[in-house]
Amino acid sequence: MSAGGAGGGATAAYPQQTIMAIGAVGGLAGIYLGHFMPPAFSFFGGLGAICAIVWGADAVRRVASYGLGTGVPSIGMIALGMGIVAALFGLSVGGIAGPIVSFIAAAIIGAVIGVLANKVIGMGIPIMEQAMVEIAGAGTLAIIGLSVVIAGTFNYADVVQNVVANGYIALIFIIGGMGILHPFNANLGPDEKQDRTLMLAVEKAAIAVVITGFASSLHEGLMAAGLNIFVGLVIWAFAFMKYYELVKRDAFSVVGTGLLPSAEELE
Amino acid sequence: MEPLIGMGVLALIGVAATIAGASEDLESDVGSQSNPNSQVQLAPQMMFPHRIYNKAVSGEPPSNALMCSVGAAVATVLISEFTLSPLFALVIGSLVAACVHGTFAVTSTMGRAASQRRFKQPVYLDMIRSHTPVIMGYSFITTFCVLIVSYLMTVVLGHPFPLTMLAFIWGITVGAIGSSTGDVHYGAEREFQQFEFGSGLNASNSGNIVRYGESGVRNGYDNSWFCAKFGGPVTGIAFGMTVFLGSWVTTIFDPAVSIARGWLSVVAGVVIVLILIIWNWKIEVKARNAFGPYKEDKPEEASA
Repeated sequence: MSAGGAGGGATAAYPQQTIMAIGAVGGLAGIYLGHFMPPAFSFFGGLGAICAIVWGADAVRRVASYGLGTGVPSIGMIALGMGIVAALFGLSVGGIAGPIVSFIAAAIIGAVIGVLANKVIGMGIPIMEQAMVEIAGAGTLAIIGLSVVIAGTFNYADVVQNVVANGYIALIFIIGGMGILHPFNANLGPDEKQDRTLMLAVEKAAIAVVITGFASSLHEGLMAAGLNIFVGLVIWAFAFMKYYELVKRDAFSVVGTGLLPSAEELE
Repeated sequence: MEPLIGMGVLALIGVAATIAGASEDLESDVGSQSNPNSQVQLAPQMMFPHRIYNKAVSGEPPSNALMCSVGAAVATVLISEFTLSPLFALVIGSLVAACVHGTFAVTSTMGRAASQRRFKQPVYLDMIRSHTPVIMGYSFITTFCVLIVSYLMTVVLGHPFPLTMLAFIWGITVGAIGSSTGDVHYGAEREFQQFEFGSGLNASNSGNIVRYGESGVRNGYDNSWFCAKFGGPVTGIAFGMTVFLGSWVTTIFDPAVSIARGWLSVVAGVVIVLILIIWNWKIEVKARNAFGPYKEDKPEEASA
């Protein structure tokens, strides 16, 4: 493995197709369930966003393993940048098929940016085009999913009024972007493991559900907001504990306190 | 609005921004975020394991934008849904933001250390337990001050952007200024104190950061103590000036009064930028004349 180093793909315990399926199918299913069910069940949008963010984090992990280094945060930002454009475009023209139209638009935008990065800027990362398509799709689903949590629907007029006009789109942009970029960035190093990175993605996405769930009290009432926050907190607590377990599994040692290892110990 | 009230609000905004800038820089220094982070990350790989917090939460601009927009979102919900007084709402919003930032800090330092297994970098739990509250405390101050700036701008000065969006933008700004202004004093100086001052970072010294303090092992507190002397305050002044001067021109020359006033504010802004450019240029020329380029042959000249 060469995470954060030069060249080479990342090794993975979960195959990329599985994660893609979880992200795309889970994301869209969550968004549609959150849209069609009563407002109290808008947390389904959050569950969709969690799936999408895990997928995005995995795509970032694969592309950033080619030695992106400080480019990891940038790629998370571009994911949500592409996502906002695609999401608003798709929701405005797509009607009930809005999320799917957004998803396709994101794939096209991602492909164009991937080709530009490889052919024009000359980054020369073999999986760049595919990874950008995936990252754009994941970013779009994350934005729509979290918007469904706040607005209870992906109806364009409601999203514009309840999410964009009052500025919560900035919150969704940054919290979704951090959810996608932070897991790999926080685990950067030669002994990075896929399951630990993805568990961190779940944890960060759960925080996004909690915060957007709190914001949902504006339009969906306290019951729905309470349920959103509860679901988010449960997932967060589980994922955080699990992440800590994986840290203990992967670290050289987890000590309560101690001095630095001596030169002999390092040999 | 009365010009005098506008000036008063502007002064408050400037003060809050100055505090936000200073605390933002110290917050990033306790956790070694952004600029100094690459060397903290590299050190174990060069056989220099350390007890320094590795808070790799992307760059400072995104992480501060996250704190500030989370705080603003929570505060706006509390104000409009729970009809809480704005002051309490801003405090609670900042508290939530500090907690969220705390989880980002903890997961990144644990994750980065765990990914250095082959270099035998341990995860020191006491270091994480002691440093994370400090990081959260600083991030609370930063978020609260940025929220005050944004709130006064939206409510009193009538800025058209919603609070969350404005806090997001000011969060990016304070992070960018902290990253460019304050970090230099930690990344370039403090981490390499054992080498001659001004010698630059030789490639062979990469990762060889100072790991022992005056007494015991050096940690993030020691670094924020050092940066509180100059790096933090200078970041505060930089951010305070940015916020103050940026709003000052439109408060003095209010575009709402007449279109000519609006153009005057643009002219005043350009004049301020020109003055700062010339001033900076003068300082640089003076510093170059006083200290000059690195002179390698100085001892020989002296002996000749």
